[in-house]
Amino acid sequence: MTILETAEFGPVARPAEATPWRNRSTSTLTSIGLASVLPVVLAFLIAMHFAMPGATALVAVFVPLQLIAAGTAATFVGGRRGIPDAILTVFVLVLVLLVAVVLGSVLLNLIRKGIHALSIQFLFYDSTYVTSATSLDYGGVFHAIIGTLIVVGIAALVTIPLGIGVGVFLTETRSPMRGPVRFITQSMTGLPSIVSGLFIYAFFVLSGFSKQVGWLASAALLLLMLPTVARLSEEVLKLVPQDLRSAAMALGAPRNKAFFQVILPAARSGIITAILLGLARIVGETAPLLMTTIPGDATNYKPFSGLMSTLPTYIYKWVSAGSEIAVQRAWGAALVLLILVGIIFTLARIFGKQKF
Amino acid sequence: MTTDYSSVTNVAHDKSQFRDGVEAHLEARNLHVWFGERHVINNVSLEFPENSVTALIGPSGCGKSTFIRTLNRMHELIPNAGLAGEVLFKGENVYGPNIDPVNVRLNIGMVFQKPNPFPTMTIRGNVLSGLRLSGRHSRNEDELVEQALTRASLWNEVKDRLGAPAGSLSGGQQQRLCIARSLALSPSVLLMDEPCSALDPGSTIRIEETISEISQSMTIVIVTHNMQQAQRVSNQTAFFLAEDNNPGYVVEFGETNQIFRTPRDRRTEDYVAGRFG
Amino acid sequence: MLVDGDKITRVDLFASKSRRGDRVFFGFAKAAAYFAFSLVFLVFIFLSWRSASTFKEQGFSFVTGSTWDQATNTFQIMPMLVGSLVLVVLALIVAVPSSIAVAYFIEFMAPARIARWATNVVDLLAALPSIVIALWGAFVFTPVAASWGRLLNQYFGSIPFFKNEVDNYYRSPFIGGWILAIMMIPIITSVSREVISRVDKELVNASYALGATRFSAMRRVILPTARGGILGGILLGIGRGLGETIAILYTINLIFHVNIVRILENRGGAVAPMIASYYGEAESKAISALLAAGVVLFGATLIVNMFATYIVQRSEKKMAS
Repeated sequence: MTILETAEFGPVARPAEATPWRNRSTSTLTSIGLASVLPVVLAFLIAMHFAMPGATALVAVFVPLQLIAAGTAATFVGGRRGIPDAILTVFVLVLVLLVAVVLGSVLLNLIRKGIHALSIQFLFYDSTYVTSATSLDYGGVFHAIIGTLIVVGIAALVTIPLGIGVGVFLTETRSPMRGPVRFITQSMTGLPSIVSGLFIYAFFVLSGFSKQVGWLASAALLLLMLPTVARLSEEVLKLVPQDLRSAAMALGAPRNKAFFQVILPAARSGIITAILLGLARIVGETAPLLMTTIPGDATNYKPFSGLMSTLPTYIYKWVSAGSEIAVQRAWGAALVLLILVGIIFTLARIFGKQKF
Repeated sequence: MTTDYSSVTNVAHDKSQFRDGVEAHLEARNLHVWFGERHVINNVSLEFPENSVTALIGPSGCGKSTFIRTLNRMHELIPNAGLAGEVLFKGENVYGPNIDPVNVRLNIGMVFQKPNPFPTMTIRGNVLSGLRLSGRHSRNEDELVEQALTRASLWNEVKDRLGAPAGSLSGGQQQRLCIARSLALSPSVLLMDEPCSALDPGSTIRIEETISEISQSMTIVIVTHNMQQAQRVSNQTAFFLAEDNNPGYVVEFGETNQIFRTPRDRRTEDYVAGRFG
Repeated sequence: MLVDGDKITRVDLFASKSRRGDRVFFGFAKAAAYFAFSLVFLVFIFLSWRSASTFKEQGFSFVTGSTWDQATNTFQIMPMLVGSLVLVVLALIVAVPSSIAVAYFIEFMAPARIARWATNVVDLLAALPSIVIALWGAFVFTPVAASWGRLLNQYFGSIPFFKNEVDNYYRSPFIGGWILAIMMIPIITSVSREVISRVDKELVNASYALGATRFSAMRRVILPTARGGILGGILLGIGRGLGETIAILYTINLIFHVNIVRILENRGGAVAPMIASYYGEAESKAISALLAAGVVLFGATLIVNMFATYIVQRSEKKMAS
């Protein structure tokens, strides 16, 4: 506790000890220290002695011990009042830790198992002539990457103008239909991906209009991407200040020119984020692709005919093949998929931060 | 950066300012406050006698609100907050090791600028919320609710609808509800941060009347931009000032009449005459 | 400044060029909006029409019976419906406390840098493609969860929930529930965090000024105020859980036998993976039945999502006032 006796009248630099509320008596400090360390050590020792598996030790031994320890330490600080606080803190931290562990496990395992298959050849060759026994030195996911890019690309090309169009309708018009459109579109974000695939399959394939080809997958993905892009565009366009619109109109610009030359550029970074987030959502979808395309082994650049492989269907196909090498290929493809999603996500973050 | 500080006199420690024999109930000694590295309050020492009303006046941004938040240990809830000096309540430093901030706040209550009753609770629930939040119980809750609302001059208006949601009250009523909420805890000190600035003149008068009444049994520190209000309700006034980018400090502190009629410092005189602020 | 000789074309007050541009522009916007609007109805009506024969032939037992047999043209999906519900309930038990805990941690406990990092991590979890989680679930998590199941049976086997007559702990609803929880946590956390952060800071300050502890402020002020939004988030999570296909397909067995209680045994069900799984070998009547199942699934998720949207929008309006 520092009392600065000599008052200078200009600003004084903050001393090293400027948080008196953090001072605790030795007894409190000891109890906090013990409460942080003792349960872990005890739980560890008990688990070792009884040869308990990790999860049991965690739940049955560590958590109760930690709760008791934290509660006791809390009484030193705040009396009986402090006990619920301690319990809350322990629970929150334990749950947060568990979520972090799960995420870590997914990422680590993905990298560990996928890295085996990953190589330049894996990225640039397709699976022609590859069987479930072929060594990992041959074949790759090139056709799947191309397929994903084509299918997602077509979906994006159609969805973007449509989604922005809905956003324009919701923000630039005074139509009484705005409420219903907004409500329905928001509810559409919950369309199960399999229903989307089922619909496109029934609408186009069962009716005989088309075989299972690439662009059908794009149609199914469109149904999933459109509500997200529409909703986010609306939010972004709403944020553009009314003054900008008024200024453009006062200069005599017709509404459409005002939109393209003033409003859209102002909302550009937000719109790009909306698009990227919509993309990230559909890139990893499997169910609709399973129903609208048939994965193949050769690279196919034509969305209107032939077998079209995509990363998710590639994974599905090779997991179904069953052999250990086949599964390794699947993991490799999963890693490639994750990297792709990661790139899209990072781009979304970068653009999201830019102010025009 | 040369500023003329020669006329500053450290008035606070001159006990002859106060009523004879009255001990300081709440006292700040050599208080410094930082936000991160920025020094915002510079060596403030003030004494608040028991059962009196002290007004803190000064232009916006000179640290008055920050200052009162150090008195009930609300300041430390802000990230990167820093503090040096002491705050003594009945002689005990509230920042001592092992003092529970919750206990401090139960003794030193606070009313905020914007009325903030809890929207999910009824009127009755709001009055009792202080008890529930601190885990205390009262043997007769109805009596407590009536007492608190009466002291806050709100009882007659709401006695028939204690079960109504707090949001159904007008702004002035909501603020009086917040006062009742704080009073239900029977604090010895009540801090008020511009309690009337968001209200209409009618509500302002009601609340000033409330302040006069409750100040007979508790110490009140009120931050206000309204100099007429300061003159109406307070026994002492402290004038805060912050120049350029310098931290805020107390220019002058004394009996309200003296501050407003015969200020000792040229800057105080300028401020109360409305020449700046 | 205009000089003689400058030619600025005067625009006739009634020139139609700009009006045409606007007509096209707003026409397109309207078309897009109406297209998006009608999609829901289009999908629902078309699928219903296409599967009408199933509903007619199977009648009510479509949703109350437990037989799926192409040979006898019997298609009944009750075990799948029940199974979906069981999985969602199991998932919620894990997901709701975890999500609220993470949201509370980010908004009220973590220092700024960690909070931002944690928010990014949650968003990353949301972006993980479900097939990636399916792979992890099938190959990494299943053995671990199966061992937990075995332990639960060992110590608590007298409780019906934890009985296992088959001694096979793989591909059980217990495991599926955990996987679904992992998929639901990001959504619920994200919405909860958003809602909790919108709770007026002045209210939280007021409660601390009244002597609240962390716990009592959370319990009596923050949670009640954010309750509506959190509920909306949970419903959105449920919507996702009902529609999840590949992650469940890879982690549980789909058995046409209603199983509510024996969650440790390797028989369960869920509508979405069932559709994906049986579509390969289905011929016309079976396909119609799968479409019918899709209609039921879509209907259920629509109701849940509409309810969720309504609740979230309403709670946002309440907090803004």
